Amino acid sequence: MSLEQDMDTSAGVDTRAASRFGSEAITIAVIFGLTIVLILGSRFISPAFGGWGQTETILFLSSFLVFCSFGQGLVILVRGLDLSIASMITLGGVLTTTWLAGSNEGLWYVVPAILVVSAAIGSISGFGVTMLRIPPFIMTLAMGIIIYSLCLGYTQGTPRGYPAPALADLMRAHFLGVPAPVILLLVFVAIAVVLQSWTVLGRRLYAVGNNPIAAHVSGLSTNKLTIGAYAISAMCAGFTGIALAAYANGATLRMGDDYLLPSIAAVVVGGSSILGGKGNFLGTVGGAILLTTLGTILAALGIEQGWKTIIEGAVILVALIILRESVYEAIRVWMGRSSTG
Amino acid sequence: MSAADTTPMTDTAQASDKRRLLTGLASQGAVLITVVYVLLWIIYASEQPSALSAYSIESLLNNSLPLMLAAAGQTFVVLQGGFDLSVAGIISLSNVVVAVYPVEGPFGALVNLAMVVGIGLAVGATNGFLVAYMRIQSIAATLATMIICQGIALLILKAPGGYVSEFISYELTGSLFGVVPVAAVIGAAVAVIWLAFRRTNTGIALYAVGRDAAAAELSGIDVRRARFAAFCWAGVLYGCAGYMLSAQTATGNPSAGEPFLLLCFAAVALGGTSFSGGSGGVIGSLIGAATLMLMQKVLFSTGVSSFYTGVFQGVIMILAVLFAAFVQYMSRSRGNR
Repeated sequence: MSLEQDMDTSAGVDTRAASRFGSEAITIAVIFGLTIVLILGSRFISPAFGGWGQTETILFLSSFLVFCSFGQGLVILVRGLDLSIASMITLGGVLTTTWLAGSNEGLWYVVPAILVVSAAIGSISGFGVTMLRIPPFIMTLAMGIIIYSLCLGYTQGTPRGYPAPALADLMRAHFLGVPAPVILLLVFVAIAVVLQSWTVLGRRLYAVGNNPIAAHVSGLSTNKLTIGAYAISAMCAGFTGIALAAYANGATLRMGDDYLLPSIAAVVVGGSSILGGKGNFLGTVGGAILLTTLGTILAALGIEQGWKTIIEGAVILVALIILRESVYEAIRVWMGRSSTG
Repeated sequence: MSAADTTPMTDTAQASDKRRLLTGLASQGAVLITVVYVLLWIIYASEQPSALSAYSIESLLNNSLPLMLAAAGQTFVVLQGGFDLSVAGIISLSNVVVAVYPVEGPFGALVNLAMVVGIGLAVGATNGFLVAYMRIQSIAATLATMIICQGIALLILKAPGGYVSEFISYELTGSLFGVVPVAAVIGAAVAVIWLAFRRTNTGIALYAVGRDAAAAELSGIDVRRARFAAFCWAGVLYGCAGYMLSAQTATGNPSAGEPFLLLCFAAVALGGTSFSGGSGGVIGSLIGAATLMLMQKVLFSTGVSSFYTGVFQGVIMILAVLFAAFVQYMSRSRGNR
């Protein structure tokens, strides 16, 4: 890997930024294109499909995955991995229902409190990874097991209570004919894209992911930045938990399980490198929506759960094979040749 | 530190002895986890004297063996510098196959074993091909193969059911000559095979690739072949884990492998294998897995609510990694003097 990169730079001209932009743009275009083809193609399955209504449903369902994938993506960007996401979603959900206990009272401080608690737990993971040099895989895995176990003990095995009616209403509300959760999704994506790609914080996170030593030498406090990424990830997962509890009008202890591996899959399918330093949140959003679309359509087809699972796995595999660097290289070479010749 | 700086030259011999001891400890994470395991046994036995009966030892070993085998397999992949999520899929698939196509008798048990080894080898080879030759990151590639395996398991068996052949479920969970638990024999066999494997060229290549793949490549090691082999070994061991899980549960479940996914990484971490690759070993993972299972029993016997088992598992995982790093740091800082 490193040998190839060296050869790239030895050509004399620094084309890395340009080529990265190129491959990112191709990835995002391919993923969103695939999603649109899938949605339009689903018309053949049922006439009720392929319209705006179904698109709304898919966006709505994928919003939960998008929320937690943003955090996962940031942690992966700084060369980590967050395996505590499932437990953090459960924690967010459990705290929402038990602290609110079905009333609107205290909504204004409970939601921020849950986000603060989540961020604090994420910071502990970040602290372990940076200051204590525990591998991210183990630190977040251990944290996830601990938090899950605490949720289990806190609820004595059965989460009680309901989220605030106002939250549940929000999940069903419409603004200008668009469901509120879809608007929430768009706002979240906008903020996240700006944060990751346009702010100083975002650029610094890329710098840390690309080369932690170089980032440190150039005066960035890599430890603080990494801890920040873990805190944001835990906060996003907590937020996902709140949204899920509001949507399902209750919490279960296993509510986060369906999001851990898909959050990694969305990031990877979206073209980010699992080794860090490379990726774009729009790609992740595309990955999350693509996976959700696929799941929805496969469910509508009424095929066996087994085949559904196999197809989902195969799609991830195909995406991985297509999105390899060498393929971009081939596309670039081919495009260069056709433009000059 | 400053004290060590002023150490007279005459102490060097003694210091290097100490260093060798500490480096030995660090490279053999197995030592640390063995101490933890023995301590847990003492607590367990003092809380519950019946724990020392042949029956309860046998059942504890039977409970631990599937996780031990899975962790042993995972170690191969972690050593070469990667992660293998397909462990959950292969265990589920093996369990379902053994429960849906039972073949009776000792010969039948061998036929079933051949089936699960075949499955493990096929999936492991696919993983190895994707990671080593297609150069897809291991977490991503094995995530995909895991999901596909789970799908195939669901196709074979929709809901928990089926039954495992009597020879497997009775003989393999019993004791040889009524004394030595079969589970102990299998665990020891894996350890012996590992010790032999570690000295082969592939075994040495595995460590070299995990420590520094570029350097290994330059010194003439076929890096891709070593990675490929690691995934194949892992797959076969997961298949065996599924086989022994079937023996223990005597039934099939298409999601039987899921609990193993995170626990087997926990066991590898406890066993002192470094997640950045290149150091550690299977023996530590075997004992690490046994420790995780024993810990559940101990916490239960000491009256800790089973809800909080996870808190202990998580904290011990972190402490084990910290301690291993501390020992390594100490031995290294002395070595530099």
